[in-house]
Amino acid sequence: MPHQCTDCGRGFDDGSKEMLSGCPNCGGNKFQYQPEGADISETPDAEPPEPPGPDSTVARTVGKTAASVRDFVSGSAPDGDRPAEQSHLDADRSADSQPSDPSHTSGSPSTEPDRTSAAEDSAQASARGDIVEPDELPSDAPSASESEHQFRPVGADPDPPAEPEQEDRPDLEELRAELNDQFESIKVLEPGQYELNLMELYDREEYIIALQEDGHYSIQVPETIRSE
Amino acid sequence: MGLLTNLKDSISRAASTLFSEEDPKRIGIYGPPNAGKTTLANRIARDWTGDAVGPESHVPHETRRARRKENVEIERDGKKVTIDIVDTPGVTTKVDYTEFLEHDMEKDDAVRRSREATEGVAEAMHWLREDVDGVIYVLDSATDPFTQVNTMLIGIIESQDLPVLILANKIDLEESSVQRIRNAYPQHETIPLSALEGDNMDEVYDKIAEYFG
Repeated sequence: MPHQCTDCGRGFDDGSKEMLSGCPNCGGNKFQYQPEGADISETPDAEPPEPPGPDSTVARTVGKTAASVRDFVSGSAPDGDRPAEQSHLDADRSADSQPSDPSHTSGSPSTEPDRTSAAEDSAQASARGDIVEPDELPSDAPSASESEHQFRPVGADPDPPAEPEQEDRPDLEELRAELNDQFESIKVLEPGQYELNLMELYDREEYIIALQEDGHYSIQVPETIRSE
Repeated sequence: MGLLTNLKDSISRAASTLFSEEDPKRIGIYGPPNAGKTTLANRIARDWTGDAVGPESHVPHETRRARRKENVEIERDGKKVTIDIVDTPGVTTKVDYTEFLEHDMEKDDAVRRSREATEGVAEAMHWLREDVDGVIYVLDSATDPFTQVNTMLIGIIESQDLPVLILANKIDLEESSVQRIRNAYPQHETIPLSALEGDNMDEVYDKIAEYFG
């Protein structure tokens, strides 16, 4: 059971669609990924999830964050040259899967090789291959809390080929804008209000030492550049 | 340019200490704002050197520049471990001056504090990249440890192969749950403590000696 609800401990198959509308038991929407071989006790109650193995979720999450950012960056500006459909496929994929259709891979340079390694189980295959039938979803699916999160109602977009996450994906433009914004190390919303992209701050060679009100940064130039 | 020069000097100093075996290990105290990092740094510094690292406060982002206390000698079982403690600003993805207005602060001061805090986070992230040999990750055990910031930072620390000690601080609070932190980061040992009350500091020092000695 690679996914486990962090609230009630219920386990789910890898890629299970059940999680898309929240945990059927408790409605929780945080799931911990348990790598293969991890021992999970399915506890009914508030008992917290069992530990994953040492190679676990943390590195995976960081990698995933980086991959999402990379995907969006390589997917260019909001009106970039990549078809919208393609871009959001990449975005969805970066979350958990590998491309099943060769035509998708040609357009997505950022596909990670290591994503293709894991064997997929039936839940994954089903999640990738099928559209969720309306009766598979809880009857109160488009609830108030979901619309807050801007999920689309089932079947809003019947046209494109079968893609599993379609019916529950967040609004694409908004997500893309958010990730594009996050790509900046520090975004100045207005003087005194800042958003920080920690991965970018960590990754960059230069060191931002002072912010100015007009949005300029003072940086410490790496020695290698300065000496030239 | 004075700032740049100073900075360059401090970075070269940092680099030189990294490569010398006899020099004390530089241990960064990281964590989200208001986890009690400065309280812990002060507790360690006072216990072993007699003076403090910096002012503590209930207002988030009191520490806006990394502060260092060098050559802190910790004695465990007749063995001496010498470390440099670096107290870093709380790491966060959003800094908003309006948060400080609630703490009786004028807008100008709040905006300045906000800007300095942001610079401080940039500095802390940069230090993490190059200038620390180990990390003490401080979490407030009365709050949810499953956050983007914690997950990302601990992931970065792991990717750097830095030794990391996770401290579940504020066990003196009623809402404290050490187990919640153990569950969130089961791949690491979690040590409970109250830096404010000085509870369980003996075990903390044992572990510091074990991890960073």
